[in-house]
Amino acid sequence: MYDFDYHKPAHRADADTLLGRDNYKPLAGGMSLLPALKLRLNRHDGLVDLGALSDLQGIRRDGDAMVIGAMTTHATVAASDLLQQALSALCVLAEGIGDPLVRNRGTLGGSIANADPGADYPAAVLGLGATVITNRREIAGDAFFTGLFETALHSGEMITAVRFPLPQKAGYAKYRQPASRFAITGVFVAQTVAGVRVAVTGAGPSVFRFAAAEAALTRRFDAAALEGLTLAPEGLNSDIHAGADYRAHCVVEMTRRAVIAAG
Amino acid sequence: MSQAAQSNRIGQPVRRKEDLRLITGRGNFSDDVNWPHQAYAYFLRSPHAHARIRAIDARAALAIKGVLAVLTGRDLEADGLKPLPHVADSGNPHEPDLVAPPGFKEMIAPHHVLAIDKTRYVGEAVAIVVAETVNLAKDAAEALDVDYEVLPAVTATRAAAQPGAPRLWDSPDSNISIDAEVGDKAATEAAFARAKHVATFETQINRVTGVTMEPRAAVAQYDPATRRYTLHAGSGGAVRLKQDLAKILDVPANDVRVLMDDIGGNFGTRGMIYPEFGAVTWAARRAGRPVKWTCERSEAFLSDYQARDLAVTAELALDAEGNFLAMRGTNLSNVGSHPTNYGPLKKGVEIMTSLYRVPCAHFKARGVVSNTMITRPYRSSGRPEVMYVMERLIDIAARDFGFDRQELRRRNLLKSHELPYTNAFGMVYDSGDYHDAMEKAFTLGDWAGFPARRAEAKARGKLRGIGTANYVDTATGVPRERAEITVHDDGRVDVVIGIVSNGQGHETSFAQLINEWLDVPLEKVRLIVGDTDIVQVGGGTHSGRGLRLGSIVMWNASNKIIGKGKRIAARMMECDPSVVHFAQGRFSAQGTNQSRTLTEVAAAAQHLPDLPEDLRGPLAAFSDETIHIPSFPYGCHVVEVEIDPALGTVEIVKYAAVDDVGRAVNPMIVHGQVHGAIAQGVGQALWENIHYDPASGQLLSGSLMDYAMPRADHFPSFVAEFTEVPCTTHPLGIRPGGEGGTTPALGVMINAVVDALSDFGVKHIEMPATPERIWRAIRGRQ
Repeated sequence: MYDFDYHKPAHRADADTLLGRDNYKPLAGGMSLLPALKLRLNRHDGLVDLGALSDLQGIRRDGDAMVIGAMTTHATVAASDLLQQALSALCVLAEGIGDPLVRNRGTLGGSIANADPGADYPAAVLGLGATVITNRREIAGDAFFTGLFETALHSGEMITAVRFPLPQKAGYAKYRQPASRFAITGVFVAQTVAGVRVAVTGAGPSVFRFAAAEAALTRRFDAAALEGLTLAPEGLNSDIHAGADYRAHCVVEMTRRAVIAAG
Repeated sequence: MSQAAQSNRIGQPVRRKEDLRLITGRGNFSDDVNWPHQAYAYFLRSPHAHARIRAIDARAALAIKGVLAVLTGRDLEADGLKPLPHVADSGNPHEPDLVAPPGFKEMIAPHHVLAIDKTRYVGEAVAIVVAETVNLAKDAAEALDVDYEVLPAVTATRAAAQPGAPRLWDSPDSNISIDAEVGDKAATEAAFARAKHVATFETQINRVTGVTMEPRAAVAQYDPATRRYTLHAGSGGAVRLKQDLAKILDVPANDVRVLMDDIGGNFGTRGMIYPEFGAVTWAARRAGRPVKWTCERSEAFLSDYQARDLAVTAELALDAEGNFLAMRGTNLSNVGSHPTNYGPLKKGVEIMTSLYRVPCAHFKARGVVSNTMITRPYRSSGRPEVMYVMERLIDIAARDFGFDRQELRRRNLLKSHELPYTNAFGMVYDSGDYHDAMEKAFTLGDWAGFPARRAEAKARGKLRGIGTANYVDTATGVPRERAEITVHDDGRVDVVIGIVSNGQGHETSFAQLINEWLDVPLEKVRLIVGDTDIVQVGGGTHSGRGLRLGSIVMWNASNKIIGKGKRIAARMMECDPSVVHFAQGRFSAQGTNQSRTLTEVAAAAQHLPDLPEDLRGPLAAFSDETIHIPSFPYGCHVVEVEIDPALGTVEIVKYAAVDDVGRAVNPMIVHGQVHGAIAQGVGQALWENIHYDPASGQLLSGSLMDYAMPRADHFPSFVAEFTEVPCTTHPLGIRPGGEGGTTPALGVMINAVVDALSDFGVKHIEMPATPERIWRAIRGRQ
């Protein structure tokens, strides 16, 4: 890796200041960033490790929503009693990320800021209509993911928490790529007061909503309602693990399984 | 009373004495070795599949502070380094020769430690950079300015063999590097002419790589005073590495010392010298410092030797009753950028007919170079491919012509009374009970109960399939091995032998042999294998030769020690040597109550005055044997799978294996070998795939994020049993046990997967049988 300055501020204000510097990057677990640095695919002048900012960690209920600190690890989410009771689909999702080492280091904020097309959390953020809270503003989940590894975050902006509105029902189903165990296709389905939301990760360059499935499930929230539904493969990812048409098929199948998982 | 426990004898499932050391981080792997003042090497590798190197400008790299040397192909030419001394054909007299037709032009394709004027695959090293740190060496590599002229490339096997394919080497008329025929063409044609049925099969067997848990690493130094090079690098054997390294450096073999301790996996992948080992050793002299290199995982995917990659067209002729009449076809092996070893091609084609009664056969055995990493022997080199072909052909014949799969095998599988049997290519199978192994496998796999399980699965919307595959495995390898055993006067026994452990548990299984023969406790036995200043002879660990040949020379040497010991003991007890017997660690004089322990005798050998000259000094003996005769482990596996038609995913619900290893020295170790070997074979069948992009020649499966390995949670508990029919060509009855698990695994998996899809009329799924391929096959038939 290339040389960089390393900072681990103890206070939010210091982190904000450091992140204002040119070509500084937050380190939020580093499960994608560190391998990229080791392979010399990324080059930064400085890393700001957010691991010491305790107010970025933790899970709490806030009215009809769960607020999860950006630096909360996947393992913490997976094991949270609070979430098990209120939003168990998120526990299932977190438990399926990577391996135990990744789950012990990787964080919610790091995952969604990186916006890997095969990452799991973007499906939950979009599927639940969550709100991404940063050090500067609040960003609607629908507006957060803007493309392949692209988000609405500005330079120097740092995610502090994500607010997940509690759904009536929710389920996540993931079809894992056999080597990386990222999602070839992951589908998060939620029945909410505002309607049914179906968010798909892994299949496209960025997480997206599956409108036809949402319409079908709004009429009847049942896997049988998806019978005959298809998704056009145009614009979907195609690689050595799955062609676009297979992915399109998997999206429908994993939607069905997510509905069943939602109960 | 015996010193050594009966529970540590041959045949006992002794816990591996090396494991506590290895699993508690006290192993000494190559990267654990650091020498004072060492510098670090990094290799700049070609980003192109095929390119001419016009020039390399190293000025900017050398200007970086801390950069000690940049060496390129031009430097190795100037220094007179020789190419890697590959031996493409072993020339074993018990195997058929792969003879080219008259007029075939030999391909001249020297494999140098660095590319000189052309690079021929993505990842070929074009320069070695030595610096104070790895990071500095990487900085310098980035600063190297290589002027490439990119050339057209070809990676796919059949495409590379086309006359118009981009040519890698100037010498021959095409990319074909070997073009041989084996078997009896005329008899085979005649048999096909009178056949009632002909089953046909065409396949491209996927390319894989070894993915050893420990990546390669090397540290080398040069002593100008003695003009000796020393290299510490894990490999398949120290002696061969020393000899090969000396040839590259063009120095006498004794000017090179090779060291190795623990080695985390070989599988053939690490069995042979690598360009990097030569380059690092040379660089140590040029830099005047010890130089260390540790291969990174992504670098390993580019530069570790790869394997399999065989295009096959095969036909099986049958009569009306289902008797096999003949077999014919072509095997085309993609050898990668340089032809270095035809072992996989040869060891496959010579047993194409497997354990079946096939009166005649004829095959073409061809090799082709391509813009890919070199392929070489890999666990059960060449045999899993051909067993897969034969077992697929049998299932295809059964389906196409209305035979029962089991009955077709029963009808044609060789019976014990037919052994020894010379197959259609001249290979002589010594002994065994193939039907016993097969019937046991059918029972373990509960073939009889399968229809009910299939119906039950169908009711759940799932597709069950069952498959079987018999196998035979030809073990040959470097024929010469030597053991030198010394009994010390404190009871310790040293065994100097040219066979290193790459994880096979030799410290335990070899010690069990010594325990059996000399009655020495396991903890007293020490193997000395990894220092060529001590170990002068030995072929290394490959082709099921470690225990097979090691046991013979250790047995001979042990017997010589007993013989010497009897004579010494006779002097001590003042009796005639002919009345001395050795049992339970004691030399006893018949008809008396006198006896001496092995340790006492060893001490006497050092201290007793007036001993004849040949008995003086440490109680030691050696055995040095050259053994060409191949060994033929065999067995039968049965696997049951359940496919989810919605996604095409495969679950292995049962895996039953029966393997005959002749005589299991340590059944627990053999079971471990079988389990790992099955996983490695199933890995190829279902997941693993070295994928070069045909358009660009880039490696798309270049990391563990894209190269899918088998994992523990992919498998049920294996139901594995042995039969033990002693091998008649081995003095102790031993057959190898390390490769058998892999050999039938490809065929048995694909047979089961295709069986599961039989309702859809799916005839075949290529490897790896990924969910996507299965889904496409189902969809194509719906």
